[in-house]
Amino acid sequence: MTDRSSLRYRIDRALDSVWIWPVLVGATVIFLAVFIGYPVIYNLVMSFQEVNVGNLRSMNRPFVGLANYVKLLDDPLFWVVARNTATFVVGNVVLQCLGGLGLALYFAQRFPGAGWLRGVILAGWMMPPLVIGAVWKWMLTSDNGVVNFALQSLGLVSSKIYWLSDPAMSLISVMVANIWFGLPFNMILISAGLAGIPQDILEAAALDGAGPVRRFFSITLPLLAPTLYALVALTTIYTMRAFDLIWTMTHGGPVDSSNIFPVWSYRLSFEVFDFGTGAAISSAMLVIVFLVALVFVRSVRAESRV
Amino acid sequence: MKNIVAIPQLDPVPMRQWLLLGFGLLIASSYLFPVYWMVVSSLKTASEVNAATPTMFPHEPTLNAFRWIFERENIGRYLANSFLISGGSTALTLLLATGAAYALSRVRSIWMDAVLVGVMLSQVLPPPLLVTPMFVIFRQLDLVNTYTAVILATTSKTLPFAVIMLRTTFAQIPIEIEEAARVDGSSRLMAFLRVTLPLARVGYIVVGSLVFLQAYGEFVYPVSLMNKQSMQPATVGLYGFVGADYSDWGNAMAFATVMVLPVLIIFVALQKRIVSGLTSGALK
Repeated sequence: MTDRSSLRYRIDRALDSVWIWPVLVGATVIFLAVFIGYPVIYNLVMSFQEVNVGNLRSMNRPFVGLANYVKLLDDPLFWVVARNTATFVVGNVVLQCLGGLGLALYFAQRFPGAGWLRGVILAGWMMPPLVIGAVWKWMLTSDNGVVNFALQSLGLVSSKIYWLSDPAMSLISVMVANIWFGLPFNMILISAGLAGIPQDILEAAALDGAGPVRRFFSITLPLLAPTLYALVALTTIYTMRAFDLIWTMTHGGPVDSSNIFPVWSYRLSFEVFDFGTGAAISSAMLVIVFLVALVFVRSVRAESRV
Repeated sequence: MKNIVAIPQLDPVPMRQWLLLGFGLLIASSYLFPVYWMVVSSLKTASEVNAATPTMFPHEPTLNAFRWIFERENIGRYLANSFLISGGSTALTLLLATGAAYALSRVRSIWMDAVLVGVMLSQVLPPPLLVTPMFVIFRQLDLVNTYTAVILATTSKTLPFAVIMLRTTFAQIPIEIEEAARVDGSSRLMAFLRVTLPLARVGYIVVGSLVFLQAYGEFVYPVSLMNKQSMQPATVGLYGFVGADYSDWGNAMAFATVMVLPVLIIFVALQKRIVSGLTSGALK
């Protein structure tokens, strides 16, 4: 007979009751509330305060209203960074999705080793961003970098390109590295979307005389649309993480030519020690990321309910 | 004698497929060229690395750069710190994620839905935007310059991902198997430990490795929350090498190669499972 007062029995009973579910979820919810929710709100509060090295440790700091935000908008750098960020995000999203789509379509064809080669490409996405930044910085070095050497040997350019020190090229350079980094992830997720398209529809269309181009635009692309929407949202969010790459390759320079909002925010906080203004930028960016994420979550949940 | 055993004739692979394979190999190898270039550069002599005309293969392969980074740059200490931080973050992440993922896979209610959406949203907030308040908060708690701060911050980045991925793993395990064990008299805990957890083993290996790799590659949190060089992980060590205007590229690439080695080992061992795990879990 079970001893009803034994500790073991009571533990089992507690675990078997319906109250266990909120407890199991609770640990994670509390952790995320403390280490993500609280920082997000704290950040918003700081963006209305003057926070510097002197009052960093104290809890009551002068509230300055919207002064931090006004300061940002008045800074001529704001529009430079805004344009850089828009170029960087749009360029990355468009090229990563198109490139990922191209690769996924190529490796969806039937030939020996297709799946294996697709898997090998994923190695790029697994590498630490710091390593990717370091390797690209080395390859793009103007004097003895392999990229300039290749372009010159092929006769594509006549003189050296100063990839990282020419303000006209630096944003393109960090974009190249970031696209290289994100491409495999896009490819793998689009491949999964492609695998979900029923083959018989495509075969029926082929029998009806639709050529490959027609099949792609009339069947594959519309059926792939939900995956692509989710991917556009995810890639937009992930470009905000390109900080590591930019920090390694250009530090946002030269003269802010590759400076984007997350980099500017970090520099304000950790180089100028103007934490309030740094917080104002990251609060505004967090709102944007949050809105994009809502689109993403909605599209994913709509898809999984089908 | 007549040959009565028909030898099955496999269809020869048509020409078109060989062409596709050839071009596919070209795509994959040009994509992976940066990885090749990293390794090759690390094996060259200093003068060959800095030669105006790069060489595709090292003419006099040498391990001098590796000797340098182990003896002079203390890469061993950086790697030990990396393993400590990513090991700690992985353990904490899996511990917390298990309960949440299991509950989210077994109970459907509006509350659980709300939690899931919350977890998905917290997954997308990037460290560079969160690090300012994190730094100020940890400063007030006097946790700046501790591994604890970095492990907690890193876990906040990996936990949502782990919950979402493990939830998919648990959802694929039929609840009937657990119920059968419960009918046989097991408590819920025993049914989970003896039946569900072993079935989720592969999921744990995949999620655990991906979490480990994310933590291993983390740069923003350690570099901002710790300023003691002796505590820094390999990402920050590599940054010290290449962040400056002038860099010693042969040694830097040796550092990067050694740093990537654990990543490549995990990748080779788990590549297929990671691919299928990502495609089933990341968007669902």
